[in-house]
Amino acid sequence: MSLDVTLRVFRYRPNQRAHYDTFNVTVPDAANVLDAIEQAWDKYDRDLMFRHACHHASCGTCAVRINGREKLPCIAPVRDYKTSKPITIEPLRNFPLVGDLVVDVAGFFQKQEASGLVITRPTEDTLDGKRIEHTQGLDSSAPVVPFNRFENCIECGICLSACPTMAADYKFFGPAGLAGIKRELDKTTDPEKRAALLQLADTEQGVWRCHSAWECTEACPQSVYPAEAIMELRQEITRQHFKNLFRR
Amino acid sequence: MNLSLPEYKKLRFVRWFDLRRLRVGNIAYILNRVTALGLVAYLYIHLVVLSLLAQGPSGWDPFIRVARTPFFLMLDVILLAGLLIHGLNGIRLALTGFGVGIRGQKPLFVALMIVAAVALIAAILKIFMH
Repeated sequence: MSLDVTLRVFRYRPNQRAHYDTFNVTVPDAANVLDAIEQAWDKYDRDLMFRHACHHASCGTCAVRINGREKLPCIAPVRDYKTSKPITIEPLRNFPLVGDLVVDVAGFFQKQEASGLVITRPTEDTLDGKRIEHTQGLDSSAPVVPFNRFENCIECGICLSACPTMAADYKFFGPAGLAGIKRELDKTTDPEKRAALLQLADTEQGVWRCHSAWECTEACPQSVYPAEAIMELRQEITRQHFKNLFRR
Repeated sequence: MNLSLPEYKKLRFVRWFDLRRLRVGNIAYILNRVTALGLVAYLYIHLVVLSLLAQGPSGWDPFIRVARTPFFLMLDVILLAGLLIHGLNGIRLALTGFGVGIRGQKPLFVALMIVAAVALIAAILKIFMH
């Protein structure tokens, strides 16, 4: 079974007028929006700029806005949208535009690097309250070696696009960066490293610029909960300030 | 109009009011800002009005007659709504802003707005049936 879909895609080049182009494509019933975009590129306009890589929500490359909401189109089924109306595809907000659906993510990745987030983490010891036995299925005399996995954050930039504070102030460190700082804080007990991380977050453009819209958590496709991370960072920073106050 | 374009840099705050993102957090965010602007405007108006007191009864009494008209009482209701929304949401922000009740921020907002609504209805009845 197939679906006839109309895509209304934002088009932009520097020094040219921004506009929307309409593409009528036919995709399989199980297709995702990214498949429809690729078909539009393939059949109608090879100049259409968009990013895509893994096609299964692991890389965060393809993030765009679909009907105004930030999504990963690689896992957004076409059938979830009313095909009687055009599906509007636009680039992420709060990033400089490069062209069409592609935004400049260099500044974002600089902030991510500044946050010090290491993209892997030790896997959890429990899942749904049940202890994970790492030696299950292996030689029981083998030493227990905790697994390593990727962090939840795929650095897609969706949280920055959803953030209304980011809309008004590009200097804001951003939900992803602050959530990265929180993750690194959770991973370390080294007092010096913890102090450095908290100092990074405790700035005008850090945790205190967040105005609690919680849109980042709503939009995040990967359960990073950046808003919660920011609030927990604030709690920790405030705790440290109080401790320092009584130490003087 | 696409606000990501460089020429619309100064208009980006308009995204705060994007109704396509009508989720609880964004609703609270917008309400807080709108009520804040309203309350600040009221503060200045209030100071100007209070200055009428310095003119004695000849300045104050005519204002009180106007202030008791239904239109003005409705403005008082709007002011009270702003105070309740801003104040109660402020409590939510103060709590969640320091990591307290962060997983329950949505139901907390809904619960506080219900309290605001009940208080407002009670106030409307008191004001207009007095």
